[in-house]
Amino acid sequence: MNVFRAASGGRGTLCAEILASLGSRACVALIAAGIAACAGSGEGLDANGRPLAPEGSGAVPLSADFDSIQANIFTPICSLCHVGGGAPEGLRLDAANSFNLLVAVPSTEVSSLDRVKPGDPNNSYIIQKLEGHAAVGAQMPLGGPYLSASIISFIRQWISDGAQPSAVPAAKNLLITSIVPEDAERVSESPPQIMIAFNHDLDVSQIDRRSVHIERLMPDPSCEAAQRIAARVTLSSINPKVLMIWPSRPLVAGHYGLIIDSASPLRFSDLAGQTLTIRTENGSGKSVISSFDVEDPP
Amino acid sequence: MIERLIAASLWLAAAAFMQSARVQAEPYLAVLEGYKCNVCHVNPTGAGLRNEFGAVYSKTLLPEETLRGALDAWTGKLTDRVQVGADLRADWIRSSAPHTMSQQAFSLEQFRVYANLILLPDRLAIYLDEQVAPNGAQNEEAYVRFGNTRDGFYIKGGQFYLPFGWRLQDQTAFVREISGINMATPDKGLELGYEHAALSAQFDLTNGAGNAAGGSGYQATTQLIYTMPIWRYGIAGSFTQSRAGDRSMGAVFAGLRTGPIAWLAEGDLIHDASFPAGRTLAAGLLEGNWRVRRGHNLKLNAEYFDPDRALTNDQQTRYSVLYEYTPLPFLQLRAGFRRYRGIPQNNAENRQQLLMQLHGYF
Repeated sequence: MNVFRAASGGRGTLCAEILASLGSRACVALIAAGIAACAGSGEGLDANGRPLAPEGSGAVPLSADFDSIQANIFTPICSLCHVGGGAPEGLRLDAANSFNLLVAVPSTEVSSLDRVKPGDPNNSYIIQKLEGHAAVGAQMPLGGPYLSASIISFIRQWISDGAQPSAVPAAKNLLITSIVPEDAERVSESPPQIMIAFNHDLDVSQIDRRSVHIERLMPDPSCEAAQRIAARVTLSSINPKVLMIWPSRPLVAGHYGLIIDSASPLRFSDLAGQTLTIRTENGSGKSVISSFDVEDPP
Repeated sequence: MIERLIAASLWLAAAAFMQSARVQAEPYLAVLEGYKCNVCHVNPTGAGLRNEFGAVYSKTLLPEETLRGALDAWTGKLTDRVQVGADLRADWIRSSAPHTMSQQAFSLEQFRVYANLILLPDRLAIYLDEQVAPNGAQNEEAYVRFGNTRDGFYIKGGQFYLPFGWRLQDQTAFVREISGINMATPDKGLELGYEHAALSAQFDLTNGAGNAAGGSGYQATTQLIYTMPIWRYGIAGSFTQSRAGDRSMGAVFAGLRTGPIAWLAEGDLIHDASFPAGRTLAAGLLEGNWRVRRGHNLKLNAEYFDPDRALTNDQQTRYSVLYEYTPLPFLQLRAGFRRYRGIPQNNAENRQQLLMQLHGYF
């Protein structure tokens, strides 16, 4: 029988034994490390493992509306796989995309069926996939546990009711909800970062990091120009509603302003395309949205 | 023979009272034997139709009892040009989670048929992997392959599984589920491969699963494996360009045989830019397979998943114990238990599963 073996069996027997011995111990150590690995405590997170919103939004009970289905089914169960560039069949079921990719969108597996056909759950492909009688492919969630009939009934009801979009009021304007340090706050030492919190998740692709900066404001602007502080601007990886400004060096004692340049061609916008509207001063295109003082060290 | 079947049935019935799981990682056999994937499979990256040697191995070395004489002639080849095979897996799964009603059900997980049409021996072939049940037919793999898959370069074109880490049968393993590269997500494109001595290498250019509906973007995937008789290691990388957000993945994986135990390990790191500000995910697998004796395998499995490296309290784990019994050629029984652990406020992340599986194949 012409069987290929990866390497000659007789060579390096001693080395193999040594390797096996060391490897066995290493494997036991790795297994022990694996067993020792613990699940997260969940502290500070919501049921979907995301940071709790500042306003303390609680768990949403499952009901036959899109927001509830998104919060209880699509986000915690489906979007584990159905997210981003790797989403199977291009179906992204995260909160930002699921409605637009589900309702009245033909399935890629059975193109004659819409993923969700408003008013007709039996001919909605998502129902067939969840109930396990679709013409193509495996029942979802892949590998189970599968959704119970009572849970699927909420999705059926939502579709029967016309598959209405989110009941949350249409996106309001993008607003700044808080700034740390707060306006007019006096801090005893240089803050490591300045945080600007918005009411919506920011669209990272639309952020022009040059349009926000810190300036050291002089007591008498007529005598001395404001001093721009070198800083790095990032979106918080934990909370996409928060913009972080990291001064490259500690701020010396003085009066500082947080400046937004609304003349920038790209401004802050959220995932719905709402842009931040601010009033500028004296037609300069700049607005001091907050100021704070760093005190002299004691 | 009848006694053997009765014993198998009794074992299956007894296992119903055990706790069980849905794992079956065949790569451990390759590690245990020191084989590359192409030793037993037509597909040089593994899975699917077994080749002539794979069929012989399945009926002579894997089961507790070989049926001498009865299956001597069977190698999966209908003619010199046509080779066929199949897999059927029937499951019983019971799932329970806190504050949730338990579920249990029998199901037909899959019935798949394979065919390899050899147009020019060792040069040109057409390969097909079709799931015919449950529900309607679904094509998993269908490609034309040109070149030598044992020693030299080859190229595939069509639809196929991407090479990325251990090709586990368990599609719900964290490393397979989170990477999105598994045997439920074949992709369309081209694969350039190279097989020589201990080396296996692939480079794939495909559409990318996330671009299925978008009509733009691509996925580039590459893998390199070095195989020795008692150990092997591999590295893999993948990049998906997508309107939804680019996705970059890297994996390192290794296998080691220590006596009757085959160890498998894999670590994956994924950056997904589709989330606002991006998100980095990590997943790991450690698995030990102890061949207790011929036809009997005990599998222990520990897995780790961090859905967002920027958060400190959101990790998940999964532990499995599974016993695999192969009493006869082309018949395997599995039973086991799997326990998930995650954040306490999410019931599904704290579920546990019992599973039994009946697997028939040839």
